[in-house]
Amino acid sequence: MSLWTMVIKMATGLERTCAIFFLTVLFSLPLGMIVALLRMSKNKVVSGVTRFVISVLRGTPLMLQLLAVTYGPYYLFGLTVSKNKLIPVVIAFSINYAAYFAEIYRGGIESIAKGQYEAAEVLGYSKTQTFIRIILPQVIKRIMPSVTNEVVTLVKDTSMAFTVSYQEMFTIGKEIANSQTSFMPFIVAGVFYFVFNAIVDFAMGKVEKKLNYYQ
Amino acid sequence: MENNLVLQMKNIKKSFDDNEVLKGISFEVEKGEVVSIIGPSGSGKSTLLRCATLLEKIDDGMIQYEDVVVANTEEGGKPVYLPKKEITHVKSYFGLVFQQFNLFPHFSVLKNVMHAPINVQKRDKAEVEKEARELLEKMGLADKADAYPCQLSGGQQQRVAIARALALNPDILFFDEPTSALDPELTGEVLKIIRQLAEEKMTMVIVTHEMSFARGVSNRVIFMDGGYIIEEGDPEEVFGNPTQERTKQFLKNYQQ
Amino acid sequence: MKKFLAVLLMAAMTLSLVACGSTKDSSKKFIMGIDAEYPPFSYMGDDGEYTGFDVEICRAACEKLGYEFEIFGVNWDEKLVQLDAHECDCVWAGMTILDSMKEAGYVLSAPYYENAQVIIVKENSGINTAADLAGKDVAVMLGTSGEDLLNNDLSDMRDTFNNLITCDSFLKCFTELGGEAVEAVFVDYPVALSYANENEGYKILDEQFGGEQYGIAFRSGDEELCKAIEGAVADLVKDGTYAKIAEKYPDIIDNLVFLR
Repeated sequence: MSLWTMVIKMATGLERTCAIFFLTVLFSLPLGMIVALLRMSKNKVVSGVTRFVISVLRGTPLMLQLLAVTYGPYYLFGLTVSKNKLIPVVIAFSINYAAYFAEIYRGGIESIAKGQYEAAEVLGYSKTQTFIRIILPQVIKRIMPSVTNEVVTLVKDTSMAFTVSYQEMFTIGKEIANSQTSFMPFIVAGVFYFVFNAIVDFAMGKVEKKLNYYQ
Repeated sequence: MENNLVLQMKNIKKSFDDNEVLKGISFEVEKGEVVSIIGPSGSGKSTLLRCATLLEKIDDGMIQYEDVVVANTEEGGKPVYLPKKEITHVKSYFGLVFQQFNLFPHFSVLKNVMHAPINVQKRDKAEVEKEARELLEKMGLADKADAYPCQLSGGQQQRVAIARALALNPDILFFDEPTSALDPELTGEVLKIIRQLAEEKMTMVIVTHEMSFARGVSNRVIFMDGGYIIEEGDPEEVFGNPTQERTKQFLKNYQQ
Repeated sequence: MKKFLAVLLMAAMTLSLVACGSTKDSSKKFIMGIDAEYPPFSYMGDDGEYTGFDVEICRAACEKLGYEFEIFGVNWDEKLVQLDAHECDCVWAGMTILDSMKEAGYVLSAPYYENAQVIIVKENSGINTAADLAGKDVAVMLGTSGEDLLNNDLSDMRDTFNNLITCDSFLKCFTELGGEAVEAVFVDYPVALSYANENEGYKILDEQFGGEQYGIAFRSGDEELCKAIEGAVADLVKDGTYAKIAEKYPDIIDNLVFLR
């Protein structure tokens, strides 16, 4: 197999890699906010349970969570395994990343000075208005570097989808490596991930710059 | 003229854990009056302002703005506040200027001033903008409308904060040590603005350590210590001829 | 006190054994590379120890040769890389010997088992021949000869499938089948047989594909080691140990070359 055929074949899996990536970003960012708010709830039970769930999600391998989401329902309840693996993969990724984002959000929210809340309160803003109009925009700016970090990790983590036989780029690379007894597909995969991440880095850098209108 | 009272606070008590900070404070503010509150650190001045502006809940006593009783305590009971919806309305009676300005860093100067009138009071944007620009003009900040707080000096930020509070057209404006966080050379520009507001008959309550300023600008001075009002009256009386030993001692320490 | 004495005694015995071992000239560590998920050839037994037909034979052969026996579970799709990296001294785990391995310089033993690829389906699926798989989803394990076959000799058949997915373990292949994410699994005959025997509701189609042979792979240059192991296995066949072990694995006994 020529290098070019190899690249073309693996590029067909890139579409699926992108699907995992973009859908996970789309779902985990808002889900993380919900988790963060539950985690900061004044209700001790709610915050305690959320804290436990976060620690499980962060304390167990993502690969295990992928297996649990994909095959767990079959082993536990005898349900069918999804033919379209994108669904369990995106669910597992979104939940896992939401746990990480939740902790980032929480750190960001807790870093905002009390005076901001008090100023908004005296001016008559409601709790919701205060959060959405005053606090959140400042939080987003502060957490951008950490979010970028996670997003870059996500690009590389998409390769883990091979563990549930979702044929994204890395799985195809592994298949080619096997049939050709060649190490080349792994190098190609490495280049793909590097370029993907360079683009992500560039885009996130643009966003960070845009948020730099104040210090 | 009973209707001339903007604020009444009666027998206000407030504790943090076991520490009683306010031990039964009563005072009133008439329309157009400028009241300065002085006293040593920890005397309860700031806490009193925070209770008046509803940032802290009182443990006992009564708060009334004009004819609206905001919180009241039955004999031996807990203070009862108005329901949330009406509290929001009450907040339009007063404004508060913080020691640390607390401007919103992600809003431009103009937006800091305009945002609450548009989003809280739901007023017309064009009208609010016209007023906001006039206010900034008055604060001497017309050219800073598009700047961000981080680009301003402390004195300029505090003037924006005053404009922000005034934009909601409050009946009474509270100042919590408005110049304490400023470099000495910047306090003048803020005090000048407050003086100007006093001339326009803006009702104000000012917690301050600037004694000569308090003496010059106020109609009435309140000296607080240890959670009580020790002495209160005409500034010339309180500063020139205090009757209480603790007031004398405090003012003496200050002159040194 | 008794317990303490026992421990002491055991320690002494262990020491003396080690001492004995080290005096023996031929003492050598032999690391067997296995696929830990390939029953009945090599797998983890109920007691948590690796076992299986290949494992038992290899252990017996090592005993004969006086080698110190050790097991290493390889990552199946990187088994030859791991062999080259000296993580093990051979790959011996129901492995199909391919011409490409010989071409790549690996030393291969004589075949000891004849294997075939089969198709396992759910009993009630209505699938009776390979032709029925047209338009269906099929699973195969990554790095197996089944995958190789479908990508090369049987690519025409593969093209009739709706989708061919590759799993990284047999268990996942069977889970996909059980969970109805695929309608069939293309898999080695003994693996299919033991799964169909242990789980209800599955059947193996009659058609067999491939007809490959299992052998042992050694690093290039290890001809001596290969000969030694082959010789020891031949001795086991001669003294009947081989047949005795094979009797424990009825699923594969018919296809063992040395017992014919």
